[in-house]
Order: sequence, then structure tokens, then C-alpha cells
Amino acid sequence: MTTLRAFTCDDLFKFNNINLDPLTETYGIPFYLQYLAHWPEYFIVAEAPGGELMGYIMGKAEGSVAREEWHGHVTALSVALEFRRLGLAAKLMEMLEEISERKGGFFVDLFVRVSNQVAVKMYKQLGYSVYRTVIEYYSASNGEPDEDAYDMRKALSRDAEKKSIIPLPHPVRPEDIE
Amino acid sequence: MAARGHVQDPNDRRLRPIYDYLDNGNNKMAIQQADKLLKKHKDLHCAKVLKAIGLQRTAKQDEAFTLAQEVAVLEPTDDNSLQALTILYREMHRPELVTKLYEAAVRKVPTSEEYHSHLFMAYARVGEYKKMQQAGMALYKIVPKNPYYFWSVMSLVMQAISAQDEKLSQTMFLPLAERMVEKMVKEEKIEAEAEVQLYFMILERLGKYVEALEVVQGPLGEKLTSELQSRENKCMMLYRRLERWAECNALSCKLLLKNPDDWQFYLLYFDSLFHLIDQSWTPPQEGTHSAEGEVHASISQALSFMEDRIATEEAKESKHLRGPYLARLELIRRLRERSCPEAQQLGEPLELMFQFFVKFGDKPCCITDLKIFLDLLTPDQHVQFINRLMEAVPLGAPGEDGVAFPGDTRALQRHLCVTQLSRSLGQQHALNTQGKLGLIKELKAHYRHGLQFGKSCLKTELQFSDMYCLMAAHVYIDLWLETSELNMLWQSLGLLEEGLSHSSSNAQFKLLLLLLYCRLGAFEPVVDLYSSLDAKHVQHDTIGYLLTRYAESLGQFAAASQSCNFSLRFFHSNQKDTSEYVIQAYKYGAFEKIPEFIAFRNRLDHSLHFAQVRTERMLLDLFLEADISSPLEESVKSMSLCPEEDDILWDSLRDNRDLTVLVSWNPKDRQLNAEHKQRSLEDDTLWLRLRSLTLRLIGCVSALTHPPASRNSEKRTENGVAAKPSSLRSLLSQLESTLNQATQFTEKQLQVRTALSSGCCQCQLSSLQLPLHLQELEAAGLGSLLHTSLYILEKCKGDPLEVKDSQSTTQHFLLENLVYFVETVCIVLWVSNYCVSVLRPLKSSLQKKKKKKKEARNVDQSFSLQSLLNQALEHIKSQEISLTALKLGALSLEGQTQSEAEGTFTKMAMDKVQSSYLRSLQEIGELLKKRADTLKSLKI
Repeated sequence: MTTLRAFTCDDLFKFNNINLDPLTETYGIPFYLQYLAHWPEYFIVAEAPGGELMGYIMGKAEGSVAREEWHGHVTALSVALEFRRLGLAAKLMEMLEEISERKGGFFVDLFVRVSNQVAVKMYKQLGYSVYRTVIEYYSASNGEPDEDAYDMRKALSRDAEKKSIIPLPHPVRPEDIE
Repeated sequence: MAARGHVQDPNDRRLRPIYDYLDNGNNKMAIQQADKLLKKHKDLHCAKVLKAIGLQRTAKQDEAFTLAQEVAVLEPTDDNSLQALTILYREMHRPELVTKLYEAAVRKVPTSEEYHSHLFMAYARVGEYKKMQQAGMALYKIVPKNPYYFWSVMSLVMQAISAQDEKLSQTMFLPLAERMVEKMVKEEKIEAEAEVQLYFMILERLGKYVEALEVVQGPLGEKLTSELQSRENKCMMLYRRLERWAECNALSCKLLLKNPDDWQFYLLYFDSLFHLIDQSWTPPQEGTHSAEGEVHASISQALSFMEDRIATEEAKESKHLRGPYLARLELIRRLRERSCPEAQQLGEPLELMFQFFVKFGDKPCCITDLKIFLDLLTPDQHVQFINRLMEAVPLGAPGEDGVAFPGDTRALQRHLCVTQLSRSLGQQHALNTQGKLGLIKELKAHYRHGLQFGKSCLKTELQFSDMYCLMAAHVYIDLWLETSELNMLWQSLGLLEEGLSHSSSNAQFKLLLLLLYCRLGAFEPVVDLYSSLDAKHVQHDTIGYLLTRYAESLGQFAAASQSCNFSLRFFHSNQKDTSEYVIQAYKYGAFEKIPEFIAFRNRLDHSLHFAQVRTERMLLDLFLEADISSPLEESVKSMSLCPEEDDILWDSLRDNRDLTVLVSWNPKDRQLNAEHKQRSLEDDTLWLRLRSLTLRLIGCVSALTHPPASRNSEKRTENGVAAKPSSLRSLLSQLESTLNQATQFTEKQLQVRTALSSGCCQCQLSSLQLPLHLQELEAAGLGSLLHTSLYILEKCKGDPLEVKDSQSTTQHFLLENLVYFVETVCIVLWVSNYCVSVLRPLKSSLQKKKKKKKEARNVDQSFSLQSLLNQALEHIKSQEISLTALKLGALSLEGQTQSEAEGTFTKMAMDKVQSSYLRSLQEIGELLKKRADTLKSLKI
């Protein structure tokens, strides 16, 4: 039971219950505004009947069409603790995939911490597979080692042969990805 | 750096190293390199600008500006110079200069698409809508591309939005914008989705909903494809505005069939249904019900629609949606509101909520879902309801202490949900002290039992049973508020510290700890707690108040300074950042985002919290530094404080605080409501008014002491030190009336009350009035002031932390009083300084007039001020000593109920409070000592 609607600037004042979570990053204002200005349709929020924000997804479309790399990208996906285990993240992912289908994307991709097993498992259930590992993609601040990311992908209908998701044999470095 | 020309030209090669230095933050080398280059190529203007950027970034603003203007007057037309100047002006916060730059450039190169487009963006940055409109059209004439045309149209819409006169918007700007779009429609030149969006925006703002509907449903509407359900959502909005309830109803039906979990459409379905019933709507004789299909216009249809939705859910094997079940409860509510007997046909709410619990009780959101329907139960059903729910909670056999535990996390979640509901129904609040203590014991047992399920939890995950711990802490707080027994608070703190030790990522633990420590007057532990929340950016506005509200008044000046800085940095960067994204929105044609971004920028600019930290930061700087490390007038000047100017837009203040960030399961009558929020806003605004007036008055005193007569007359007003006695007088009367207002504010609002009851506000006012009396050549002295100060000091006396009868008590307001005392001392000293400067020249004449008495009195006062400060210092010293000697460990806190492990955590909390008090005393003492030293140099 959810109201799904476009994320607006005013939601930034209300998303603390989602963002006061150790794995959810609160970005600077420019970052959010950039997405709202460029890909407003990709920024969706779920609201509970009582007005609490439940979760949101933030994404974009990028890549070269000619090289068959035009795709949807999940930049952030987060659901407040109390609204987990309702399939909300799956619903938001489904919406992002549909938007990417309409834009003629070949696939949808996302980055996730290797240690975030819950998320990795969920994405696998949603049909995503590990395309490559990106070494030390997440920089740590408190002296701990930087963490690797999985670049996970799911082919869209335009990539009927699922060429875009054939796993790379070797991990890559952050500077080698676009 | 963005400023790199795309055409390879030898100058590019020469400039490259400077760009690189600037990019790497090596500003000194950039300046050197630019100088070197300029020796060889005197007319390489861009090098000058790059040097200016280097200077700007090394805090040599004046030099940078002069150098930049040398290039600007030449009206450059090379890309490199233009872009470098744009960057420089932006960093100088002078975006209006960029417009001048490109105005000149398009004059010289009238056919340049690039310069015209830069000019448009430069206008956009400063919000010159009319000029944008013209620039857009000029651009379209040179290069007839659609986006340029629509930039111009959007600029008209912005003129309409920003117009003071609504009539002008409705009769001139918007109709003009509409005609411009219609022209393109007629010529079949509409290309992009953004253009249709803009057309829709214009029609909507004009209230032309019928026309808007035609656009959305017509061929142009086919372009609305990016957003999901874009056309449906727009139609729905228009049906509502047009009160076309039949269409509204039919469309919500359709959308609910597609997604039976989308709550907004249930609400619209019910709204429209009852409108149709009220209108006695009947379907047409022939044809379809409405443009959107079948319409439900009777309660029986609605009932069967709901039953169908639920039947569909019931038929599913798994992944049941909550929407249909909750919508049924919503329908009962609405039917009851209209006294419709059909409400009963849907079932008894208690039973329906029970069934909901059976299905969804193991989801953490179950409490949030059911909470909003609790008022469907009658009070005498509450006990029955909780008992009924408990039937569906699988628990093991009760242990020795009579507590039965859940066997897995799902059962735990169910039990937790019932416990939360019980609290929401007020059952916990109804318990007596013994009952509450029993409840706490039970909650703690559940909490600790539940920890076994989370043994393999990662550091970033929370424990499954954390909420029990939080609730037990809440019950302790209930007890503390009821009995004023501080032990309850200590135990609450101890429990939360224990919880945090098992679940280091739990933000709720941290938030409550933070609040409780502040209530106890202990700011030191708060710093780490807040930083571990990792609050950033916009959160400095929404939850930053938790930090800045307490820091200074609790005597932790260094921390206060730092926390104000966090917030200020965020607010200042916002002003620059948002403009860039307004421009981006034009580029990408996200027209509907443009007014949204501008409103967002204003919301941050007018944030109450922003005004608070701005004011407090300046006051703090003055109290800490002025006349200690540099003279008062220097401090006032460096913060460009202008007493005559009120920099706070009182009528547009926005309360951006997130007051619901702390979880609460309190019953409705104890929940935070709109009235509380309003009162809190009024309270904070009143306090801000007092502080802001005090600040400006200090500015006045400084200006009086050092009249700017000797300064360059041109600079006088700019420096803000040209305060006239008249502004002093008016500010004083404002402060006086605000104080009166505050005195009447009888509610127990902490900050204002403490400050008022300590007598500081009144004393500060009296001292600030002194210059005025002197100007009127009235005989007045510091005598009465000293008397008041002494009285304030008396109020500061007492032990902030005391152990009596093996119970500890805190009197943290003593710390606050001490801080206000020190603030008052600062003000009295600044005022004295002024008085001395006035009286000294009079000395001889006074003597002639045989008024030696007065002179003598001044000496007296200097002495007694000195002795007052000494007294205060001694008091603080003795406090420090006794606080250090205090052995809290010797305390036995209700030894009977606390285990040893629990005791450790409570002790830890006490140690933190003790250490924090000590630190506050030290900081206050240090400042006071410095102030006492300055008194010696003040020769009265």
C-alpha cells in the first residue's frame, strides 16, 4: 500500500527515516538536482498513507546507442527499515526497467558493495547477474580498506541475445569504467 | 576546469599549464606561471584572468577583481577569457557581471549562437526573466531551433510566477506564453515532450483545464512518454480540478485494477464515489458511462468492488498486497463519517484488523499500517483487541520469571507489533509506577532474548529486538516525567548505551541519547553521537537543530562553533549551487523543475535554522574574541555586521526541522501535533529575535565607541559601523518589547525561560540602554547593573551535579545560567568601554563642576566589577574541584533492579555527563578569565 510518485525537492526535507541508514548515502544538493533536472522520470518515491516516505529510486539513462551500450542505470535505491520485506525495492526496480525499456535501452545496470549480501541476493532474484567486479570502487573514510563493487546487469528486450550481460573474465579498475 | 577551448590554438598550449595548476589546487604556481607568460605575451588576456582566479582562491579578492576588470573593460570575445571570467565571477558570487560580459560579446559578434546562449544562461543565473525572454528569441532568430524558442516561452512563465501582481500574470504573461506555443502547434512544429509539458504547465496555470485535457488526450499527449502513467496522472489531476467525478472514478477504478496497491487511487476512488452519490449521478441512457469507462456511483458497487479486490488477493498463493485490506478499513471510516449503515457490511474493524495482523503481523510496517485505523475501535474494545492479536503470536512456554518468548524473528516481529499497538492505545501510559517498572523488566527481557537471533548481523545491520530496548527507554522517560526521579533518566541512558553497544548503526538509539544528554545539559557526548549519524548536506538543515540548539547555551563553545560551521557551509554553498541546476533544467527542458528549484533555494535561504546559526555564530565569535584577540570594532567589521540592517526576513522564515525523526508510539493525545510545531516555531522565532537584536545592539555600541568619522566617508555605510543613536534607540525599544512579549510567553519553553529567569536578558537590555542615557547626558552609572549581575551570579551558584543520599541530581540549568552570565559580562564590559571613552574627556570639566563624586563612583564600580568577576571565577574553580572529586561510582542505583552489566552502562552514561559538565565549566571559566584580564586594561 503505497503511493508512487515523482520525487520532488521537498522530499529532501522528509527522507531522514530512509537516509539515516549506514548503507544509504546522503549526497550533496547538486547531485540530486542534477538528476531532477536531467532524468526526472527516473527519480521515484514511495509514500505511505500516513505521509511517511517509504523508499526511493534514483537513476539515469546513459551510454552509446551505436555501441549497444545505451542503458538504464540505478544510482540509488533505498527503502526505510520499517518498510522492508514488502517487495517495494522490486517494484521500484520494475518501474526503472520499464522506463529504460521505453527509452530503448539494451540493459539496466547497477553497482553494489560486494559485502552487501542482502542486496546482491535481492538483485539476483530480480534477474540481475554479476557482469564484472570493480576493484576498490567504494572508498572508505575511516582507515578501512576500500571496497570492491559488483557491476550487475539485466538485459532488456532490445538485447534479445543477452549479449550485454556476458560476464567479463577479469575484474576492472574504477578508472576503466565509464 | 571547464574552460578549455575546443579549437587548438597556440595560446591554448601556452595556457594549459596554468589550467593544470588551478585544477590541482596549486594556486601559487598558477599565478607564477601566468606572470611568466604575461611577460612574453602582454596581450594574452586570458592569462590575466587565470591569474585572477589564482588570486581569488588565495583570498586576494581585491587584487583579483582589479585584474579581472582590466580584461573585462576590453570586452573580450575569445572563448578562453570569457569562460575563465565566468568562473571567476561565479566564485566571487558576482553572477551579474557575467551578463555584462556576454552582452558585450554578442554586441561584437551578433551572430554567435554560443555567446547568445551563454548570455541567456547568465540571465537565468540572476533571474532576469524579461531579458531571458528577449535573449531566447534573439537566439531563435539566429538559429531557429525549438529549444531556444521554448526557453523564451518559459521565461514568460517565470515572469508570471515571479510577478507581484497576479492579474498581470493571468492577463499578460501567461496568455502571451500560450499564444507563442499555439503558434508552434498550428505550424506543426512541436517536436519534444518537454514542449508539450510546458504547454500543459501554461494551460494549468491559466486554469484552462478543459484545454489542458484536450492536449493530454490529443495527438500532442502522445509525446508524454518518459514518465510512467504520465497521461493518466495528468488526466486524473484535471478531472479533479474540473470536478468530473465520473471520469475520476472510472479512471481510478482502471488504475486500481492495474495496481491494487496504489493508495492515492483508492482515495480518489472514494472521493469521487461520494461526490457522485451526493450529486445523485446516473449513467447516461446509452453508450458508455464516461470517457474513462464504467463508473461506480453507489455504495453497493463500491462494496462489491472492494470485495472483488480482496477476493483477488485471497486467491493469490503468496505476496499478498496490503492495499485492498487497508482500503476496506478506509472505506469503513468514510461510511461511518457519513453515518452509512452499510459500513457494517464490510465487517467489524476489530476483526478485520485482526485478520490483517494474521497476514502481515510479521512485517515491520504492520504497526504503521494499523496505527492510522486505531480510532475505528471504541475505547472499550482496546483490551479485547490486544488480547485477540496476542492469540496470533506464537510464543514459547513462560520461563521462571513468567515471560514467554518468541521462537524466531517472525514471531518476535508479531509480538513487537502488538506491544507497539498497546503503547499506541495508551495502555502503557495507563499503568502505575509499579506496572511500568514491570513492563520495563519484560521489555528488557524480550530485548535481550531477541539478541540471539542477530548474532550473525553485520555492523551495518540492526538487531531484530532493538525496538524493545527503545521502548523500554521510552517507558523510563515516562516514569521520569511523572516522578521527576532522575534515576529513571539515568537508567534510560544506560539502557540506550547498552543497546548501542549491540547495534552500533541504530540511528534511533543515537537520536534519543543525544536528546537526553542535551536535556541533562551534557553536550560533550552529543558531538560523537551526532557525527556517527553521518548527517550531511540537507540534513544539516533538517536535523542540525539537535546540535546547534544546545551547544552554546551549555558552555561548549568550541563544539558550538564547529557545529554552526557545518550548517553554515551547507547553506552558503546552496545559494551558488542551485542556480547552476536551474540552468541545467533549461538545457534539458525540465521546465516544471525550474520553479521547483527556485522554491527549493528559497526554502533553504529562508530556513529558520540558517538564520539561527548565522546569528549565534556571530554572537559566539564576539563573546569569544571581541576585545580579547582583537578589538570589538575589528570583529564587528570583519563579520560585516550592520546594526541598521535586519538580515532576517521574519515573515518568510521556513521551519525545515524534521521533528518526526525520532520514533514514537505515543497515543494520539501525546503525539506531536501541528499546534506543538507552531508553538515551537514561535518560541524559536522569539528567541532568535532577542538574539538578533542583541547582536545588532552590540554592533551599535561598537559604532558608538569608534565613530567612523575619521574613515573614508564613502566606506562608512559599507562597513556597517555608521550606527546613529537613533538606530540604537529604535533597536532598544524593539528589544524591550520583544522581552515583554517573551515574559508573557508563559509556556514552559526551555531556552527563553532559562534566559529570562536568570535575569540576563533584562540585564543585557539595561546595559545596552546605558549609552543612550549617557548621550542624553543623564547621570547614570554602572551601579545598578552591577547589582543585577551579582544577582545573576547568585543564580548560577549551586552544584550542577550532586550526590545526596546515594542519589545523584543534576541542576544543569546552572550551566546555562553561567553561560548567560558570561555573555552579560561581555556586554557590560563593551558598554563600559564606551562609557569610559565618553566620560574621560569630561573628566576635567566634571572636576571643575565639583562632581568628583561621580568620578569616585566610577572607580568604585571598576573595583566591584572586578570583584564580581573574581567571585564568579572562584565559584567556577570550586565547582570544577568538587565535580572532579565527585565519585559517581559510589552510587548504588536502585541496586535491586539493576544487574551488574546494566550498572556498567548507567555508570558510563553518568561519567559522560560528569566529564561534560567539567568541560563546560572549564570553557566558561577560561572565557571569564580572559574577560577579567581585559577589565584590567579598561581604566575606569
